Amino acid sequence: MNTPQAAVGDYQSLPVDAVGITTTVPVEVIFAAGRYPVDLNNLFISAPDPAALTAEGEASGFPQNCCAWVKGIYAARALYGISEVVGVTEGDCSDTGALLDVWRSEGVKVHEFGFPRSREPEELRQRLRRLAGEFGVDLSAAEEMKQRLDEIRALAQQADMLMAGGAEISSQELFAALMWCTDFLAAPERCRRKLSALLADIKRRPPAAPRLRLACAGVPPVFSDLWETVEALGGRIVLHEIPRQFALVDGIGQNLVSAYLGYAYPYTWEARLSNLLAAAQARQVAGIIHYAQTFCYRHIHDRLLRARAGVPVLTLEADLPVKVDARTRTRLEAFLEQWHDRRQS
Amino acid sequence: MQYRLGLDLGSTTAKAVVLGPDNRIVASVVRESGYDLKTAAEYLWQEAARLAGVNGDLPCVATGYGRALASMAKRTATEITCHARGICFLHPDAAAIVDMGGQDAKVIRLGAAGRVEEFAMNDRCAAGAGVFLDLVARRFQRSLAELSHLPQVEKAPEISSTCAVFAETEIVGLLASGQPAEAVLVGTHRALARRVAALCRQIRLASPLYFSGGVALNETMRRELSAVLGMPVLRAEHAQLTAAIGAALLAGET
Repeated sequence: MNTPQAAVGDYQSLPVDAVGITTTVPVEVIFAAGRYPVDLNNLFISAPDPAALTAEGEASGFPQNCCAWVKGIYAARALYGISEVVGVTEGDCSDTGALLDVWRSEGVKVHEFGFPRSREPEELRQRLRRLAGEFGVDLSAAEEMKQRLDEIRALAQQADMLMAGGAEISSQELFAALMWCTDFLAAPERCRRKLSALLADIKRRPPAAPRLRLACAGVPPVFSDLWETVEALGGRIVLHEIPRQFALVDGIGQNLVSAYLGYAYPYTWEARLSNLLAAAQARQVAGIIHYAQTFCYRHIHDRLLRARAGVPVLTLEADLPVKVDARTRTRLEAFLEQWHDRRQS
Repeated sequence: MQYRLGLDLGSTTAKAVVLGPDNRIVASVVRESGYDLKTAAEYLWQEAARLAGVNGDLPCVATGYGRALASMAKRTATEITCHARGICFLHPDAAAIVDMGGQDAKVIRLGAAGRVEEFAMNDRCAAGAGVFLDLVARRFQRSLAELSHLPQVEKAPEISSTCAVFAETEIVGLLASGQPAEAVLVGTHRALARRVAALCRQIRLASPLYFSGGVALNETMRRELSAVLGMPVLRAEHAQLTAAIGAALLAGET
């Protein structure tokens, strides 16, 4: 577990009653039911050989031109023997819907959860109630769990704020800290200890040396070494847009409905963009790396981001979980050289 | 200012340029990159110095895919930065660049003094690059030079595929259906121009737009690109050498 991507899925051991999740869902409901959510994405990308999992997904019948994350989480679920999942059917891609159909056909117990595109509080409340009902818990128990988990989210938020303020924390460390909060490593107390230890360590470090402050917009990149590559070239990702959304740091202290309505990722592009631009401005980023997974509909948003970003945008994409390729490296280098040139002229 | 060397170790061809103290090109060498870019770099370094008639270690900057393999270079820079420098040196009025090389296409919007303001590169597909034209030339048993002056064809057949391999299959189908070879060839160039034009739309393209890279030597491609973009596309001077020139200029700055 010493590769950068392994850090996001640093599970000690998977509980027998784990419930797989296909993206961020109201995990409070699952914890309140005495079960343990496991983010299948983290499980896939931190596996010893994630590329083998995407290959396995393809071999099982998923088309080549289908998102690697879908193929990877399909195979990861089987590899780790998780028999029950919560899948997001609204607010995520339609590939996930088909994935749930495949799982059902294989006898996996599937719960569907949709973030209402209307973003109506009452509609979301109804959906939360339905999910809670499926897990046999009352929403009030989930609300209590939210308060407990918010204490842990607050630690990730501290790391995020320290980064924003110029503390010495690497792109990868912040990424992992935020990603841990998608499922709290299926062990909230262990997750709390890990975040506390990270914070204590950060506070002992001298302030960060000057680096080019960048934001990364989009879903977590499938590259295995993107953050180190950016850092080796003199950049630093001070804003991980979607991981920050996944960690729900803006919804700390709010009830479930408010927090999951404030969670911009599953709703409209405009909701995501306004959140991203405000956070980017607050962190004074010099540029934005826009990552979109190969074959993902989110590529279409690229033009909308470029039109409103107000800072240079570099668009990157990748298909399989491999190291940064020569072409992507050239793009990154050229992107960073732009500022080097400006400083010199 | 002393003599400086720029090396552009591209995917298909490797180029070297020596600039003299007055910034004149005193030597240039172009050869196939081959599979051993390290050897190509050594050869270019020695041959360019020999042609320039200079001895000793020339300050050198390397660019291109193989840039990290040029051990004689005191630093490396990306092709994007080097093209920008090179084009602005050759054409101070340049506002944007389309570069089409062996494996990729790049579009660059320029700021003051050859600074890169914005750029975009094609993705992992040869259908936007020179290697595709190589493939097409072989299929039609023509040289690349012969592709350069194809006649104007108003209604060339459509090549719809975005993949070089499938595009070749489409070409075979068109020829089998009796389409004239010249028309299919123009259609192929037009399809390539459309892909590059889509790349151009990712940045705020400005005029004058200069065309560089090995594919810029192909006049048919320049004409089709200009028609698709609806704006003049000017072939850069020393079109194949612009990145190497930019690298040599950088070697004088560092």
